[in-house]
Amino acid sequence: MTSANTANTDAAGPAATGDGSGPLLRVRDLTVTFAGRRPAPWRRPATTVAVNGVDLDIAPGETLGLVGESGSGKSTTARAVLRLLRPDRGTIEAAGFRVDGFGRRVPAGYRRAVQAVFQDPLGSLDPTKVIGDIVAEPLAVHVGLRGPERDGRVAELLEQVGLGAQHARRYPYELSGGQRQRVSIARALAPEPRLIILDEPVSALDVSVQSQVVNLLEDVRERTGVGYLFVAHDLAVVRHACDRIAVMYRGRVVEEGPADRICERPAHPYTEELLAAVPDPDPARQRLQRQRRRELAAATAAPAPNTAPAPAAGGCPFAPRCPHRMPVCTDTFPDRTSLPGGGRVACHLYDAPVTTPEEVR
Amino acid sequence: MLRTVVIRLAAMFPLVFLVATGVFFLGRLSDIDPAENIVGPEASEEQVAAVRHDLGLDRPALEQYADWLSGAVRGDLGQSVYTKADVSASLLQALPVTLSLTFGGLLVGLLLGVPSGIWSALRAGRAGDRAISLFATVGQAVPGFWLGLLLIFAFAIQLPWFPSVGYVAIDQSLTGWLRSLALPSVSLGVVAAAAISRQTRSSMIGVLQQEYVRTALSKGLSKRRVVVKHALKNAAVPIVTVVSFQVTTLLGGSIVIERLFAMPGLGQLAIDAVLRRDPDVIQGIVVLTVIIVVLVNVLLDLSYAWLNPKVRAL
Amino acid sequence: MSAAEASGARFTARLLRSKATLLWAAVVGLVLFCAVLAPVIAPYDPLDGDVREGLLGPSGDHWLGTDKLGRDVFSRIVYGAQVALLSGAEAVGIAAAIGIPLGLLSGYAGGWTDRILMRIVEGVMSVPFLVLAIALISVLGPGLWKSMAVVGVVFAMTLMRLTRGETLAAREELYVDGARVVGAGAPRILFRHILPNITPPLIVQVTLMIAGAIIAEATLSFLGLGAQAGHASWGSMLADAQESIRQSFFLALPPGIAILVTVLAFNQVGDGVRDLFAREAKAGTLGVNPVHRGKGAEAEADPPAGTAVPDPLLSVRDLTVSFPQPGGGRVTVVQGVSLDVGKGEILGLVGESGSGKSVTAMSLLGLVPDPGRVAASTVRLDGRELTGLPFDELRKVRGRELGVVFQEPIASLNPAYTVGDQVAEVLREHDGLSRAQARERVVELFEQVHIPNPADRLGDYPHQFSGGMAQRVMIAMALACRPRLLVADEPTTALDVTVQGQVLDLLLELREQTGMSILLITHDLGVVADVADRVAVMYAGQLVECGPTEEVFRKPSHPYTEGLLTSLPRNVRRTGRLPSIPGVVPAPDAWPEGCHFADRCPHARPRCSGGPIELAAAPGGRATRCVRAEELTLTGVGGTGAVQIAKKP
Repeated sequence: MTSANTANTDAAGPAATGDGSGPLLRVRDLTVTFAGRRPAPWRRPATTVAVNGVDLDIAPGETLGLVGESGSGKSTTARAVLRLLRPDRGTIEAAGFRVDGFGRRVPAGYRRAVQAVFQDPLGSLDPTKVIGDIVAEPLAVHVGLRGPERDGRVAELLEQVGLGAQHARRYPYELSGGQRQRVSIARALAPEPRLIILDEPVSALDVSVQSQVVNLLEDVRERTGVGYLFVAHDLAVVRHACDRIAVMYRGRVVEEGPADRICERPAHPYTEELLAAVPDPDPARQRLQRQRRRELAAATAAPAPNTAPAPAAGGCPFAPRCPHRMPVCTDTFPDRTSLPGGGRVACHLYDAPVTTPEEVR
Repeated sequence: MLRTVVIRLAAMFPLVFLVATGVFFLGRLSDIDPAENIVGPEASEEQVAAVRHDLGLDRPALEQYADWLSGAVRGDLGQSVYTKADVSASLLQALPVTLSLTFGGLLVGLLLGVPSGIWSALRAGRAGDRAISLFATVGQAVPGFWLGLLLIFAFAIQLPWFPSVGYVAIDQSLTGWLRSLALPSVSLGVVAAAAISRQTRSSMIGVLQQEYVRTALSKGLSKRRVVVKHALKNAAVPIVTVVSFQVTTLLGGSIVIERLFAMPGLGQLAIDAVLRRDPDVIQGIVVLTVIIVVLVNVLLDLSYAWLNPKVRAL
Repeated sequence: MSAAEASGARFTARLLRSKATLLWAAVVGLVLFCAVLAPVIAPYDPLDGDVREGLLGPSGDHWLGTDKLGRDVFSRIVYGAQVALLSGAEAVGIAAAIGIPLGLLSGYAGGWTDRILMRIVEGVMSVPFLVLAIALISVLGPGLWKSMAVVGVVFAMTLMRLTRGETLAAREELYVDGARVVGAGAPRILFRHILPNITPPLIVQVTLMIAGAIIAEATLSFLGLGAQAGHASWGSMLADAQESIRQSFFLALPPGIAILVTVLAFNQVGDGVRDLFAREAKAGTLGVNPVHRGKGAEAEADPPAGTAVPDPLLSVRDLTVSFPQPGGGRVTVVQGVSLDVGKGEILGLVGESGSGKSVTAMSLLGLVPDPGRVAASTVRLDGRELTGLPFDELRKVRGRELGVVFQEPIASLNPAYTVGDQVAEVLREHDGLSRAQARERVVELFEQVHIPNPADRLGDYPHQFSGGMAQRVMIAMALACRPRLLVADEPTTALDVTVQGQVLDLLLELREQTGMSILLITHDLGVVADVADRVAVMYAGQLVECGPTEEVFRKPSHPYTEGLLTSLPRNVRRTGRLPSIPGVVPAPDAWPEGCHFADRCPHARPRCSGGPIELAAAPGGRATRCVRAEELTLTGVGGTGAVQIAKKP
């Protein structure tokens, strides 16, 4: 399957495959499993399904928020799109490239078109390089800029993210967390990408700096028309930064739709629980939140006993915690149902009255 | 637990086999011919060839190897080309000397190293710590045999408290055994003590900064209890690793010390064998030391399981 | 990571500061000097002597005397430096040439290459160094250069393993992912990113290895396997010295000291370089620092209304914490904090990183890391003065009257003991319960914090718990002796948001049950809004505002509180860009003279920077550290934009 795809993707830059016309990112049935520890040298390693049949779409210039708690598979999904790991199954089309078809060598065109900003702003910058060299690396790799031209472009990029030319000679450890994240953004912008994967870009930052970076990302998008896949655990941040949101739970996308619809009229019981858990600084509003949180907790007060069989791989991962649990939930993962107000939900509560037997895989 | 031991012991065979094979063939690569050594420089070609034939050195290497290996698995490691002594027997005779010395060195290393490391860590940055650290850095730089030489001069010649050379077997005289081991053990153990002390200090310092130590303090425990119960057990894993490494080093280091104190251990055997080019003896010594090292490592692995519950769960 | 320090002025500054390393580097230089200029320095031929002049003591002619064969010891020592350094260079050169490339290959390529290479290394390293060296010398035959080549090969194994380990670690670093995403190919990643980062530890290792090689040379020469008659080696000099030890003990000293000093110098330079590359060396003794009685303890001014409550459980006045600075002097990280926690009250202490909120909490417990110094005019818990208490008095308060919960529940539990044992320990320490009684009480506590199947989980280790459950264990431990005050330092920050809610609910429930007070340290304003009765806001080491949560959040009286509240993204419909506070929190050594927030404040006036600003009473039972508090109308949260989440059908 590799050879068939590399032939056309290697040669085809974004320009060749309908720039702007198709989706910026189209993920279908993405599945990633990790091999665990081997119980003994001769046994097969146990495997964990980190991402299970995920579908995602991003239109050019759009921001999709990918939200979930630890273990939801959101970062794994991002890494699969970046081709930092190889999926077991599924297709990924990004910026006109068939990412799942790549062989060992990833085409330079793809690396130009899709960039990333990671959570840990210190860890993601090479400590032995000065900021100028870090920002210039994509220029060196892709454009071959040198000398004053390169320095000029670096200064321009640093200015775009609110840093001065004097920062170019500093080392990452000499900057604050927010400044480092600006450097990461400048580096991501250097090759003029069409899609930037933001993996928890503001989680490590203080509140007052967080909003600066969220605003910067928005400015960049307005100016360059880049699209974002914004991976985060904080629904409030994601609502601010994104057009649409996809909610992940244990490797599955359980709900997806416009940001405001998701946050005001959540359809999936998990989304609802997540929203009720987001604390709000307005004490009056937080009292209502807490009440909601407790109601939901009370409804789930009898979680599935530990002795009950774990939900089958095909079942809904949220079933053991779900207040609306039905027998069907433990063995069948629901189909997606379109919702009024936009988006889709994967929950048996929204099934058509009759469940068709061929759903069972 | 038993299962782990069995698995670990089974896993050591390939390693021992590999090392034995490696040493055997390396020996055959040599252009130094024991036969020439035996008959002396004036001997004729025929005489050399005759000796070679007697020793079986003219046979194909693979055949010699098969021969040696089939003997080795039965515990017969061949014989010395010079003394015709049975290698296994000489090794068994020399082994108690080397093991006593290694154990003595380890004891000195642990008794000096662990407490001084802990003490030093608890006073990190202060005068006491600096003094211990200085001793440890000097201790690591002292050649053991030179220290031995100084000890011989001080405590065997100037103050004739200990014998300057020789070894007394434990079944002959217990005090004699202890006296004969005292100076060699100290000479051997000081370097190990320095290494163990440094590792103990740094891993204690690392553990003392862990959050669970802060928790233990926040519970209102005494400092002594925090150090002894909460810190030491966690600090022990890297210390044990260094100790296991030191056992290997001590085993090697005992060669020099045996030479210095004229003790009839594996080291003496090894040096004589090298100078005389006695292949079977060398092979035997290598195989034996590898077995000892591997056994020690199995023991230490078991102690990891006790120290670290996460390992136990596997 | 540490390689960053490798360049730039800071590295040089550190180098110059570590005089010891420079001194030892000079010693290495001296040895090198002797080695290079041996023919000029040495007064005699090191290999030739007059036997009739044997075993002479030190004299004007022979500074260090002569050996049995009448050779000049000083000349032999000088030439010995040559042998030692050349041997070291040979062995380490071979080790580096073999070990570093193979280690890089093994670490970066992984797979079968790695497995095969590592099996070989493992096999070779299971043979003690000297035994292996002797076995290999038996193949090549004795001799200085041959034996040092053998040493080099053996050392190569160590270097290979180290290089592989460093490469593997570096390969997993996020910056390597960053480089891959940027489009860097394998050679670029290996040589431009990984190699520069692993160079410092390799330099250190190579330096230490030279020392090892010099010892190995001396040892092998001492055994007669290394340097032969044609070389003056310190090791063979010691062998000679041993022969004549009964006639002349002095002969053993010069070569021994030469080895010791040379090896020590290389070791010290290696360690020194390692320290230079390392991030700031942590001094790590047990973090216990009692609170000292501060100045003016008697003449204590009443704090402004708002920080004080009637009949408080905990009362802190003028708490100051400082740490020594690397360049000398001390830097203050907490400046004159005064606060009260009422009985049964939850006080939220909020601030960003660097605000000093955690240090404040830890200083109350006497748990500020060691070089820190804590002073306060008073810290009173339930009427008992804690300042000036010695460690053993204070520890009776910790755990018994004051329980603590930390941020990282799993890291805060000791991995080597079962959770049951760790909770029981508090009970046995303070309440003197027997093993069985303690166990019973632990089960009860686990039930109280809603850990399912408590009796079964006692014997589990911390790593067998999820974060939320581990935090419940921590809470059970903190509450074991029914303390009056619980200090919770970011208790939910490391937890998932749905679990966070459960833990907060648990804290509220326990407060109801026990009537305890909680000092809740957090950066999350939502958490404060959820559970805190009153809130104290810290910025850059100072308390800037304090008062009832609802009042403060609805209508803040300090511009920093306003900035925090409005810049926080909330779950509301967007109305344009998020307001944000420009700039960053200043470092403690760069705090402004006047208002610490003045540089970032949109409402700042020249008088804000005039001098220290005091905390002053503000309307609504509050205190604020802003000179313009009364003239400003600041924005808080509440009233607007609160859209109720629709319930599901």
